[in-house]
Amino acid sequence: MKLNINNISHSYDVEVLHDINFQLDKYKSIGIIGVSGSGKSTLIRIMSGMEQPTSGNVSINTMDVQSEEYRKKIGFVFQNHNLFPHLSLKRNITLILEKTRGKTKTEAEEMALKYLNLLHLGDQVNKLPKNVSGGQAQRASLARALSINPEIIFLDEPTSSLDPILTHEVLTAIEDLRDLGKEFVFVTHVMSFVKDFADYVIFMYQGEIIEHGLPTILDNPSTFELKEFMRKVR
Amino acid sequence: MNSTLKNKIRKIVAYVLAILTVVAFIVFIVMRQTTDFSFEPYNVPLIRERIFTAFKNTILVSVISLIGSMILGFILYLFTKSKIKYFNAFADVITEIVYGTPLLVLIIISAFLIAPAFDSRNFVLYGIIALIVYMAPYMTNVYKSAFSSIAEEQYMAMDLFGFTPYQKYRYIIVPQVIRILMPTLMNNFSLIIKGSALLNVLAYSELYYTIQQAQYSNFAFVEGYILMWGLYLIITIPLSQLAKFVERKWSL
Repeated sequence: MKLNINNISHSYDVEVLHDINFQLDKYKSIGIIGVSGSGKSTLIRIMSGMEQPTSGNVSINTMDVQSEEYRKKIGFVFQNHNLFPHLSLKRNITLILEKTRGKTKTEAEEMALKYLNLLHLGDQVNKLPKNVSGGQAQRASLARALSINPEIIFLDEPTSSLDPILTHEVLTAIEDLRDLGKEFVFVTHVMSFVKDFADYVIFMYQGEIIEHGLPTILDNPSTFELKEFMRKVR
Repeated sequence: MNSTLKNKIRKIVAYVLAILTVVAFIVFIVMRQTTDFSFEPYNVPLIRERIFTAFKNTILVSVISLIGSMILGFILYLFTKSKIKYFNAFADVITEIVYGTPLLVLIIISAFLIAPAFDSRNFVLYGIIALIVYMAPYMTNVYKSAFSSIAEEQYMAMDLFGFTPYQKYRYIIVPQVIRILMPTLMNNFSLIIKGSALLNVLAYSELYYTIQQAQYSNFAFVEGYILMWGLYLIITIPLSQLAKFVERKWSL
């Protein structure tokens, strides 16, 4: 992934991101960590183009993240599955493929089933999100993100609303996607997952990136803040 | 026998018992009466015909008021959401006034003060307008709760997948809003139907007025009110059942 973050600042009522500059040109799976309120969710939303920064710009793989071209190439998995609650798991996917990607009914159906099966949801496809477990809903959300065949998949704390068993279930499903050739950017609090899945780690603190590097930095932090953070999450 | 069927039967039995309780009470009240009852005075062709027309009129006026108040309520809803402070304030003022005004007063003022001010003698029309204005703030609340039920993140997801505005409303927003809207909408419709009885003060031949007129000629007052009661229930009970059905079928 070619990542280029130029002078990003972002404020809602208070400033949440403070003049971030950051470049990367390899690595396929980037994990963003930090305490709540450190700005990681805001950063991932800006990187996905979903939110526009107050100032600065971001490009990924040489596309501006606000461009239409880029938008077609990304998938996003929200904290809380965020499936459309009135549609079955399958329809959540086929609707998008039919209406926004110009697929025919049969094509859309085929693809939806392919990805739902890939995430072991083959027997749940006609259920509404409220009638499946949180883990299943989150996996369906992952299937939905995959179905539009994105280059990059963003995961914003995909397990924060799940208990440990369901967390494991979802994270295992994500790890199984490694071979699909997609790039990932994710925010999580589960450090074991970062170590297993990320090939680059960004640590945020009070709206800034204060340490970054290979996952080994988690075991040998060089800043006091990351040291403290690792001590607390353990 | 499976448990859902068992539950269903239990529910039906419970309802039958509840209805029997009410019937028993009615029978008791009827037995205690010293005078004889007879619905015969209402079973003459002319009166039957009039009551049937009145029955239709009540439904007609209610449907018109329902549609009218849904539209006016939506406009008020847009006012409350507007960035222009005057509109917010205006919606607030109207809501406060309506909440504090008895429907009867509103109808009389509308028909006998506002209508003449506009050189109109169409009292019934102004009566219906009063009913519409009276219900509008309640409809505004229906919209408020319905639209606020769609989480911010859903809009984000819609943007992310690139839905057009039309697609957003057609496939995501409206289908969800309707499910939430329906039950309260039906309750409001019941309020309108009962409220339409007050149009009798304008000599409009809806159910209440028509039966009242019959009572003045045949003096069968008690029977008239019982008949009226039954006819209103015939309209409102199926409606609230429909609302419950929609709620069950579509609830999230």
